Amino acid sequence: MAGLDPLIHAPTRLELVATLSGVSEAEFVTLRDALDVSDSVLSKHVSALVEAGYLHSRKGVRAGRRTTWVGLTPVGRQALRDHVVAVRRLIDAVE
Amino acid sequence: MESIPDDPHSALAAADDARSRLTTSLRLPAGFYPLLATGIAVQVGAAAYGIAAQTVTGVAIALAGVAVFLAVAALVLHRFSRINGVRVDGLASQVVLVAGARASLVYLGALAVAIVAAFDSRWWLVAVAAVAAGFGCALGVRHWWHAYRQDPVTHARGASPRVLAVLAVVACLGCATLLVLG
Repeated sequence: MAGLDPLIHAPTRLELVATLSGVSEAEFVTLRDALDVSDSVLSKHVSALVEAGYLHSRKGVRAGRRTTWVGLTPVGRQALRDHVVAVRRLIDAVE
Repeated sequence: MESIPDDPHSALAAADDARSRLTTSLRLPAGFYPLLATGIAVQVGAAAYGIAAQTVTGVAIALAGVAVFLAVAALVLHRFSRINGVRVDGLASQVVLVAGARASLVYLGALAVAIVAAFDSRWWLVAVAAVAAGFGCALGVRHWWHAYRQDPVTHARGASPRVLAVLAVVACLGCATLLVLG
């Protein structure tokens, strides 16, 4: 069974990938508001997870202005699944 | 070595809450179901007429029906994306492919009735079948939407916009070929 994933272990990153697991893609601003974080914090986490292959991002246009869309890749989806299983296993072990 | 979360319970709960905050805030655009039902009804009615007519005009009308439906589908999905700032491929699949089992049965049944009725020139029955198809498919999407709100992770996935666009083109070309050869 897979262990805890250090890339999505941090609370904000776990919230980010969990949030994206409920949609196909989300706009950067929508994610920022849902996670209640600053642009720079979200940007840093998105960049790191894109580099790891967990997220994909693309530029788009919404209401006439440029925006960034972010989505979970199959690798990221599997990583989230494995991480949640590992955390639950940890909880079971403690309890 | 694995590091252990300070509070694994809280970490998972916070992640679930974050996802719920986003998915429970999603709204369907105004007029979503009536527009969708109308688009499907027009497509079914036009297809029935086109198949029964078996003329070039009939082919053109059937294809126009498909075009109307695709335009309506693109419009409602674009509006959904614009007001919510998210894309949900599962919703797009439900709208464009009538992906639910019950909705698919209603659609195919109503289309069959409409085609048979069109061959008999019973246009009132074509209209009834077309409206039933639209209503049934809209109900199917409504059912999916409620299921998605309950369990977004399971229901979010579906065919991507690119795949749907390719399928739409293939469907149009296939319909045209069948009608012309028929």
